[in-house]
Amino acid sequence: MIDEWYPVGLFSQLDPAGRQTALMGEPITVGRDAEGNTRVTGGNGRTLPVRLRYGHVWSSLGEPKKELFAIPEADQPGRRFVDVGVVRVRCSPLRAVENFLDVAHFPFVHTDILGAEPHTEVQNYKVEIREDVDEVWATQVKFYQPQAAKSASGGITTEYMYRVPAPTCSVLYKTCPPRPSEWDVITLFVQPLAEDLCDVWPWMALFDDTTSLTDLIHFQQTIFLQDRSILENQIPCLLPLDPGMEIPTRADLTSVAYRRWLKRHNYTYGAQLVAQ
Amino acid sequence: MHSDTTGSWTPVALSADLPAGTVMPVQIPAGSLALWRTDSGHTAASADRCPHRGMRLSHGFVRGEALSCIYHGWSYAQAGNCLRIPAHPGLVPPETIRVVTHMVEEADGVIWVALGRPEGRPPGLEGLVPLRSLTALANIDAIAAAAGGKTSPQGIVEVASGTGTICLLLSRQDEDRTLIHVLLKGITDQAARIAAVRSTESLRRKAEDIHKKEFAQ
Repeated sequence: MIDEWYPVGLFSQLDPAGRQTALMGEPITVGRDAEGNTRVTGGNGRTLPVRLRYGHVWSSLGEPKKELFAIPEADQPGRRFVDVGVVRVRCSPLRAVENFLDVAHFPFVHTDILGAEPHTEVQNYKVEIREDVDEVWATQVKFYQPQAAKSASGGITTEYMYRVPAPTCSVLYKTCPPRPSEWDVITLFVQPLAEDLCDVWPWMALFDDTTSLTDLIHFQQTIFLQDRSILENQIPCLLPLDPGMEIPTRADLTSVAYRRWLKRHNYTYGAQLVAQ
Repeated sequence: MHSDTTGSWTPVALSADLPAGTVMPVQIPAGSLALWRTDSGHTAASADRCPHRGMRLSHGFVRGEALSCIYHGWSYAQAGNCLRIPAHPGLVPPETIRVVTHMVEEADGVIWVALGRPEGRPPGLEGLVPLRSLTALANIDAIAAAAGGKTSPQGIVEVASGTGTICLLLSRQDEDRTLIHVLLKGITDQAARIAAVRSTESLRRKAEDIHKKEFAQ
């Protein structure tokens, strides 16, 4: 996992003086040098690799063997790109991603926004690990939502697709209320500060020309703060990869595939391997 | 703590602090429990962890005679068996999906939870009127020392207050923490009740000082 790319801050808020943060337990500094180039420095002063993409600065403590994953919609004209900011959560970075992949909690955690009783049923959907790109994909996920997006008026059945292109990142494609032929893109970029602490950086690429930036950010912040109340109260704190520890159902097939994929790649930073 | 050879009872809360249709977290030495009361008034205690995704059940909600997890709404009966999985409304949850439960007894305004399988019932507290609960960062010995007395076998420390007695019913939370239930004997008027609260709070400070000096590691 050390050779993967991780988000370490917003590009738009780069501080020339350098911002102190951490990556997988190592203190790092994210800033600019005299020529204006973005620099990420590790704990011992070594220069770490940098990418600037999707509104964020990306770095790695190791030597990335793959380029940062692609999001083709990030280059599509007409989309609005929204830096949502950061939510710090005292939980495993892997738990944060898994929660993002879950729709069954909408009626109970995001009540009257992303879900509402009695519309609690999760219909069958498709999950696969796409071997060619080595990503987890869930498609044809449908769920009734009272207010699916800031741009939605009234309840609709929303369709979702989920992608997990990196162990602490997920990309969500979601029905776009003002443009039915397109998908809104909402991402979850998680910076692992420690195994039990993370900074969550959501980012969006939307077709929405009417909602103010403030309202778009408030909407996402509301959702993520509701999720935080869950994520900081799960036991154990680390994501259990031992199948005996928790009980999934058919609605959890994305989470099951995500855990299997993590295990297969030995992506275990933030995971609990053996039940305690 | 009221023990016999097979288990013991520990007082975890006052009845007045758990209204019908609510759930609260309580601590026992083995960890956290979800203590809840059904709409019809029955009390129940379960492990504070939903077996589905590990969420604390004490953050959940009570509807009718069931406790539901706040994360995905899985609901559990007082006996611990899963009744409903909202993501699959047509599914009858298999018997294997359940939470561990503890025996609960409620008498004289105090709720007791069983540790193990005690054969007897918790001690009666007739004539004592529950006032409030508070947590002290001190062990039971430090609280007894602060009160200048000894604990009775029921775990009660008695402190004279005016013409009556303050009875402190103690429940060990962990090595450095004790839950104190304040019960009054012969203290009824408002001013005397307020005085009893004040003296309990100063006793707590004294106990915490003693604990820090003599017991903390």
